[in-house]
Amino acid sequence: MVRTPNLSARLKREAQRAEDAARAAGLDFFEVLFEILDARDLNAVAAYGGFPRRYASWRFGMDFERLHKGYSYGLSKIYELVINNDPTIAYLVRSNSLMEQKLVMAHVFGHADFFKHNVWFAPTNRRMVQAMESNAERIKQISADEGQDNLDRMLDRALCLEGLLDPYLPLQGPRASESVGRIDHARASFEAVLDGRPVRPPEPTRLAGSILPTYDCLAFLIEHAPLEVWQREVLRVVRDESYYFMPQRQTKIMNEGWASFWHSRLLTGGLLDGSEIIDFADCHSGATAAQAGQLNPYKLGIELFRHADRLGHDLFRLRKIHNDASFIDELVDEEFALENELFIYRDNPKGGGRQVADRDWKTVKQQLLSSLSWAGQPRIQLQEVDPEGALVLVHMHDGRDLVLQEAGQLISNLAHLWGAPVHLLSLDQGQGKRVTAGEAGVSVADCELAVERCGGSASPGERGDSKRQAG
Amino acid sequence: MGYEIYRIEKDRARFRDIVRGRLREDLKKYLSSTDLLGQRAGRTISIPVPQIELPRLRFGENQGQGVGQGPGEEGAVVDGDGQNGEGAGAAGEDQGQHMLEVEVEIDELAEMLAAELELPNIEPRGTKQLLSEGGRYTGLRNQGPRSLRHFRRTFKRALTRTIAEGNWDPAEPRVVPIKDDERFRMRRTAPLPESSAVILHMMDVSGSMGKEQKEIVRIQAFWIDTWLRSQYKNIEVVYIVHDAVAKIVDSEEFFHLRESGGTKISSAYELALELIQTKYRPDQWNIYPFHYSDGDNWSARDTSHCISLLRDELLPRVNQFCYGQVKSAYGSGQFKKDLEQALGSTENLISAAVDGRDEIAESIRAFLGRGR
Repeated sequence: MVRTPNLSARLKREAQRAEDAARAAGLDFFEVLFEILDARDLNAVAAYGGFPRRYASWRFGMDFERLHKGYSYGLSKIYELVINNDPTIAYLVRSNSLMEQKLVMAHVFGHADFFKHNVWFAPTNRRMVQAMESNAERIKQISADEGQDNLDRMLDRALCLEGLLDPYLPLQGPRASESVGRIDHARASFEAVLDGRPVRPPEPTRLAGSILPTYDCLAFLIEHAPLEVWQREVLRVVRDESYYFMPQRQTKIMNEGWASFWHSRLLTGGLLDGSEIIDFADCHSGATAAQAGQLNPYKLGIELFRHADRLGHDLFRLRKIHNDASFIDELVDEEFALENELFIYRDNPKGGGRQVADRDWKTVKQQLLSSLSWAGQPRIQLQEVDPEGALVLVHMHDGRDLVLQEAGQLISNLAHLWGAPVHLLSLDQGQGKRVTAGEAGVSVADCELAVERCGGSASPGERGDSKRQAG
Repeated sequence: MGYEIYRIEKDRARFRDIVRGRLREDLKKYLSSTDLLGQRAGRTISIPVPQIELPRLRFGENQGQGVGQGPGEEGAVVDGDGQNGEGAGAAGEDQGQHMLEVEVEIDELAEMLAAELELPNIEPRGTKQLLSEGGRYTGLRNQGPRSLRHFRRTFKRALTRTIAEGNWDPAEPRVVPIKDDERFRMRRTAPLPESSAVILHMMDVSGSMGKEQKEIVRIQAFWIDTWLRSQYKNIEVVYIVHDAVAKIVDSEEFFHLRESGGTKISSAYELALELIQTKYRPDQWNIYPFHYSDGDNWSARDTSHCISLLRDELLPRVNQFCYGQVKSAYGSGQFKKDLEQALGSTENLISAAVDGRDEIAESIRAFLGRGR
């Protein structure tokens, strides 16, 4: 039964029909709550990543400014927003036509099913609305104690480091990525008080991922950096929220593809009124339009599922076990690349935009995989604390260089938190480089050692390795 | 819902504060750029600012490739603008270009300008007797005494309504106003003279003033307007261009027109004087004429005519007369020398040379720095 706080009777009926159709088709989801919002409110919610409440930050204000301007100028419009939670919460925008609402609702049930069953989402917190709320409350308290400026500085530092997480960590154990122990301790203390027993101080918990070498720099800092309690707390909030959003980045193509595949099936399978077919086709083809210069995840995703369907795959199994990288690895073949006119573009050396550079399907596939592996981020390992107490980060180079100057700014934030210098080893056009951030600022030097330590993963074999982890 | 709105407004306000802070720091840059021109709507100016980015790990140069979709031979140029097409697109992670527009109040911008250039506030010019509170019947309202009924407006509204209701019969054109149609004259108090000012921008558009020279004038005029707008409640701006003859134009034309031909500066001064004598009388208006030219005048005789116009007619009537001489490839720059020689000691005449964009800030400081 769909609970629908503020939907009209008509929309409630449609939501129920869509739900029944989705269940009949085999989709399975947590309860879905639809809420209807004005465009402005929806932009506000979208700026908060879909949540009714986040901690106060200028960054959300900036996102809102961008979304809202984009909407007012008619450049962009959000049709719907779904958040991974139990119950799953979905927002509809009031100005949608009835056909659009039907489409969006069917689409939402696709996402809701994906959230519940895809393995990458399994470790995510399904009570995230409350968790975000309590994080917001915590940060508000910190702001009151430490001052908004100090808090902002700390938050900015912490958010820079968001990319230094381990996308595979959450799969390695129950709640491995979460700060465990706090709630358990709270509950135990509460019961102790009720029973008149003495309250024991919390046992120190160690975050998984804080043991060297690690890809989870935030966990390492939380455990080992000389920080004040409130600073650790800020890092914890940023880390928890980042891990929560991580699978959405890793499964964008699949998730949108799955939702589009099902909205298309369900709507043309009976949810639509005959008179709505043309408008539906228009709207659907707009959403899944291919544009030459970039990949539309809706388009790529839906085509991949259709391709899999034709090949006789079990779609429900595919949506369960894959992320974008492994999904593409499994399904993209010559026929698919040809049919979907995939190509590699490169910046035109003479200027004037990008040009089609290669249509060889293997090259295209390789490019897709490398852009999607490791959640689309450069892979940076925190390897050791050297004898001088400095952190040593190593960029696992896969053929793509880093923007070293910006990386330098980033690690200088890290050095600030660590309280000692930070080195980042990387390659720049084959040349080993060591970026150092410390009290004297940021410097870049040639470094022979880096060639050896960063170079190992440039071969395609390494990707096979990450693929195994993914599958 | 709705409650997010208040929360998001706080975050938005905080973001805008940060942007303002950056704006303050970068004001020098804006003082010599055309970014802000044409961004004013009412009392706010929308300022394009780069999105504030935290440093992150990005792939660099050798990444300039990716996967696209669509037809085209190898080598064909694709449009990779990165804008999402229409359709059910959720907010993309890196959609659109990374510029934002942020609205800033004129007063705030002026305040930043003042801080940057250390501008004093303008002191009231003498004590002027208060105009009677009487005002004039220039307003309208929908209630009032019969004697003040605005017949034409009332009739128009009644006519519109009659037509809209389908009761209009051209053969028998009868219009009966009802109460809703009635409009009455209303008294509006006239703005006090202390709070009214007029800016007269005069620009030489003879052949020698090139594009760059006009841009400089444009930037100067923008900041001068911004400042004076923050100082006076009621401000009017008049644009005058001249080559051998002067005429009043709108702002669009002022900044884009390119005439060619000779230069007779006195033509502009005469037009300004005429305006002052007829429309913007000194007892009701604070008057700020600005003249921009490259310093070439038609003849020495016209220059001396200009000087006597200034000395005898204009300067006694205006708060301050500013002459900005923009360096051009062809201009001799003689006019400024002549002006300074003849009227150099006059208090409310200011002349400044602007050799390039870098000097715009300095010239604005010279013009507005006296608090007049």
